[in-house]
Amino acid sequence: MPAFWHWFIAIGTVVFIIWCAWLISWSAKQGPQNVADEDLVGHKWDGDLEEWNNPAPKWWLYLYFITIIWGVGYLIAYPGLGAFEGALDWSQHNQYEAEMAAAAERYDPIYEDFAAMEFEELSRHPEANQLGASLYASYCTTCHGSDARGAAGYPNLTDDDWLWGDSEAQIVSTIANGRVAVMPALAPALGGDEGTANMVRYVRSLSGIEEADSGAASMQPMFVALCSACHMADGTGNPMLGAPNLTDDVWLYGSSSDAIMTALVHGRNGVMPAHGDLLGTNRSKILAAYVYNLSAAERQAD
Amino acid sequence: MRHDTIERSVNLMMVLIILAVSIGGLVELIPLMYSSEANEPAEGIEVYSPIRLAGRDVYVREGCYNCHSQMVRPFRSETERYGPYTTAGETVYDRPFQFGSKRTGPDLARVGGRYSDAWQRLHLQNPRALVPESTMPTYAWLEDRPVDPELLTAKLETLQFLGDPYTDEQIASAAAEVEGVSEMDALIAYLQGLGTNRRNRR
Repeated sequence: MPAFWHWFIAIGTVVFIIWCAWLISWSAKQGPQNVADEDLVGHKWDGDLEEWNNPAPKWWLYLYFITIIWGVGYLIAYPGLGAFEGALDWSQHNQYEAEMAAAAERYDPIYEDFAAMEFEELSRHPEANQLGASLYASYCTTCHGSDARGAAGYPNLTDDDWLWGDSEAQIVSTIANGRVAVMPALAPALGGDEGTANMVRYVRSLSGIEEADSGAASMQPMFVALCSACHMADGTGNPMLGAPNLTDDVWLYGSSSDAIMTALVHGRNGVMPAHGDLLGTNRSKILAAYVYNLSAAERQAD
Repeated sequence: MRHDTIERSVNLMMVLIILAVSIGGLVELIPLMYSSEANEPAEGIEVYSPIRLAGRDVYVREGCYNCHSQMVRPFRSETERYGPYTTAGETVYDRPFQFGSKRTGPDLARVGGRYSDAWQRLHLQNPRALVPESTMPTYAWLEDRPVDPELLTAKLETLQFLGDPYTDEQIASAAAEVEGVSEMDALIAYLQGLGTNRRNRR
């Protein structure tokens, strides 16, 4: 802001405060103190109800003066007069930085200690899991749900089925860098409506939902040609590409014929947004360990 | 001059009241109009692309600001959840800005990229499908409403007239860019760009 405006603000404010002080003291001296007839204000209600023209009460005036004194003190202490930064050197930015620095000093060592732990051990640490749970509540519930069971298109985190792998590096990378799944639209390559419908039945037969009829069974070579690059020839999927295992009973978008048909006709592009910038390395690891622990029960049952 | 004179003359009293109440505005508001912090775009801030501008107008029309603010305040409790606090230079192309004053839903100043396009679409169609406890209304019908290319072109011309740096080519191609684009698509494009100019914190 040009210097002119700093002076404009400073002079304008000071002149106005002085003017207010003058106005109040001037008006305090106005008006009669006696009770002569001509000092009635001139209104008359109900025939005989009139009002003396007396000055405002002293306590009322003092409130004005106290306000002015407060204002002057404030403008000396805090930034308000143009470029003057105030005697306390306070600024919104400095206050924020101080708050952040205090929090970093208090909390960073806690996160660092946990992040230095071995992953499996960290995933079983009760206090780390409390931290992880609150991180989960802040960043993950909107898609994966507050019970972590997900929704159609948003993976269930409580089962031991991992689209992108369950190693420490893989889970941390999923959280920090995000994931983009690329299931292309395949209907034309599958030979139109009939071929697509047959492939839907073949895919369902892989996990035993329905018996492969003759039409579906004939799709096996087509599956190897078109789908095996990601889902592998036997349909067990590939965590390197986030390609789901088609032979189990876990279905990201549902196991209905319609859901599978949609995937084949339009493709699927599931996106896990990157959270590395928001979380940083230490918190990403603590959160990853918490997520890993969500499926501990099922892992032990296996 | 006694207060009696002022109180008995409406015109004089009016002039003096206007004088008294305008001092605050003169001192607080007018200098801001010449402040580079408030007038010049912050780093990474550009004018809204035509499709995002259309989405912004859907946002304003539907009154999203009634429940969603777009201003991250400079407190740790806010920046931990939403990202870096909002600065004046980030809203120079917002006419009017969407700071908002009430949060029934979360702040959206930095929502861009936090969720996938598919999430935003499903969430607008039915918020309860993703957030069971949500009280947000559904906006599924935005899907059926195409963006009006003529209106959008006129808006761009107006903003150019007001000084936003739109090029003539941008305005000429705007109508073609929004062909077949629904208000839902435009709104999602708008949301996905919010606050992405600043992100890195750790």
